[in-house]
Amino acid sequence: MKNKNVLFLNALLVLAVMFAFTATANAGGKVYKLGMSLAITGPTSDAGNPYAKGTEDYFKFVNETKMLGDDTIDCTIRDDQYKTDITKRNFEEYLDDGIVMYLNYSTGSTLGLKRDFEEEKIAVLPASYHAGNLDDSNYIFLPVASYSEQLVALSEYVVKNHKGEGKAKVAMFIHPSAFGRGPVDDAKKAVAAGLNMEIVEVVEHGKDLDNSAMLKRLMSKDVQYVLSHTVQSPVATMLKDSARLGLTAGSYGEAGKLTFLGVHYTGGNDLIALAGDACKGYVWTCSFNLTSEKNEGTTKQLALAKKYGRDDKAANSHNYAAGIMVAQVATEAIKRAKDAGLEINKENLYKTLNGMNGKNSYSPYTTIGPVTYSETDRAGVDALQIYSVQDGAFKKVGEPIQSEYMTKIK
Amino acid sequence: MSYFFQIVVSGVVVGSIYALAALGLVLVYKSSRVANFAHGQIIAAGAFITYFLTVTVGIPIFFSFLASMVITFFLAMSVERIFLRRLIGEPIISVIMVTIGLGSIIDGLIYLTPFGTENYSFPQFLPQAPLTLGGVSISWTQLSGVIITFLLIGGFSWFFKKSTVGISMRAVSDDQFGAMSVGISVPRVFGLAWATAGLSAAAAGCIIGNITGLNFDTLHSFGIIVFPVVILGGLDSILGAVVAGIIMGLIQQFASGYLDGNWGLNGTGDVMPYIILLIILLFKPHGLFGVHEIERV
Repeated sequence: MKNKNVLFLNALLVLAVMFAFTATANAGGKVYKLGMSLAITGPTSDAGNPYAKGTEDYFKFVNETKMLGDDTIDCTIRDDQYKTDITKRNFEEYLDDGIVMYLNYSTGSTLGLKRDFEEEKIAVLPASYHAGNLDDSNYIFLPVASYSEQLVALSEYVVKNHKGEGKAKVAMFIHPSAFGRGPVDDAKKAVAAGLNMEIVEVVEHGKDLDNSAMLKRLMSKDVQYVLSHTVQSPVATMLKDSARLGLTAGSYGEAGKLTFLGVHYTGGNDLIALAGDACKGYVWTCSFNLTSEKNEGTTKQLALAKKYGRDDKAANSHNYAAGIMVAQVATEAIKRAKDAGLEINKENLYKTLNGMNGKNSYSPYTTIGPVTYSETDRAGVDALQIYSVQDGAFKKVGEPIQSEYMTKIK
Repeated sequence: MSYFFQIVVSGVVVGSIYALAALGLVLVYKSSRVANFAHGQIIAAGAFITYFLTVTVGIPIFFSFLASMVITFFLAMSVERIFLRRLIGEPIISVIMVTIGLGSIIDGLIYLTPFGTENYSFPQFLPQAPLTLGGVSISWTQLSGVIITFLLIGGFSWFFKKSTVGISMRAVSDDQFGAMSVGISVPRVFGLAWATAGLSAAAAGCIIGNITGLNFDTLHSFGIIVFPVVILGGLDSILGAVVAGIIMGLIQQFASGYLDGNWGLNGTGDVMPYIILLIILLFKPHGLFGVHEIERV
């Protein structure tokens, strides 16, 4: 009898302990798993590194400030060195871990894994704004306007502000890859649809130490504007060569000189550091707020960077802002799904993202406009801000713009 | 006409820098018959050491430049002593594989520092206004690059032709066993070859970094970009590296200046040097100044 009582008491104790553990677990809330794979080292890591820091910091902030109540986000961030095979392996391991949303990086890996995203029916936010990511895809959500949209909008800006007679003569200076080439076709379509400019030449750059021959050639063809879609380093070398040869326009559109403009990854603080005075007047499109134009959003961005001990370079990088932004969108989707009483899974987050439009659009503090997604629109921030280098910093030029021709050529 | 001369000047500038970057490969091959696939990483390391000494430590850039050459001299010598010395006498392919591994190790080490991922640029220390004559311009950065290249290449040529150590290095290159039999220390020569290659790589890294900015990916890619220069010049010829470098630079600039943008062509500046390389190798398989060894059995 005594033994039976002891056994009963032991069983009660075990039950009590189990209950206590369960209760504690519930008090701790749910953990939502996300995965991110990007180039923290290797090619393009100058962008990938601050991008990863932005994402990491924002998710830490979400958890520490209990933005999702007791629930937390567990986002594993892994380096893929810009290699698609490693990205694929990372993605597959994340799936095994039960992620509910995936954050990707490069154009190559986003295109390469597009089928996998479709099969897994998982929403993906890449750092690549390549318009081709959206072709035959339902699950890729571009954070901001596509490179194509940016290049076409920049072309429209050139046409509207063209100084001189006749058509604006333009050369494209692009990265020798799918990332670089894709938007050029759309710019050509815009010209075919009536955009009043002439694309005189498309230059695919290499690892050039001297661009004199190319710049002189463009001048001999009366090119007035050079639109770049690549990364900062080759643009910086080109700008320095142009300044040395005395070919850079002193003011926008100066006749007989070259005015330089560029899309997202060509600009930012690194360009100023690399090109120095040679980038004075460089015109750049970006959908993010820049810390050189202080506002509430950039104050929050700098505070976040300070909180997590980031240096000035990372804190002021637009790539850091871009990294924060995808974390903001992912967090917002989880928050909205949770508020709607939905289970946090791949399917419901996908639905929530698609519903992020109209009065339900989302305005993160890092961007110059709201994020809007729907089943037919998977480019988040449609607005673009034109910035220009003045006194060693990128400064706003006018109000945010949107491409008119992209809708015509779609 | 200024268009033509500008292309000539640009071609010579680019070619000279290629020659300097190729010099390290030639020096290692000349003494040990090994193609060093970690050369690009040493180029990058030299540039970053100069930046670190200049910006972080605060040493004037000229002294930082000299110091980085000294540091990479000993760094490359240590690499040879630690990793490659024990491979003397082993098949060449084993040594080449080790240099590939070494490249990965240096990659990893640089990735551990901010230099592996971020863009930097040297503080401006040369006049910004270019030198212009008759419509042809050259920046001070480019001019100083060309001068340093020719000083170093002249120095190394003298070293190999006139100095006892240089002659012993050539002797090792010709015949290791023969050199040993006359009392030359082959391991010491190998160490010196790597050290001098490290020194020239640092110089190349600083010059390239001053033109393109300091980006690890860009800098270390020059270790591969200059391979055609070395092959065209004839693997073990310093003069060959100079001539081939300038030929490559001129072809690149002329192709870019006259072919690109015409007849639907694009990117010929990157492709033409390889096409010319293949054509020349058809007629001179050992390169322009390479030694054609005849083995009699």
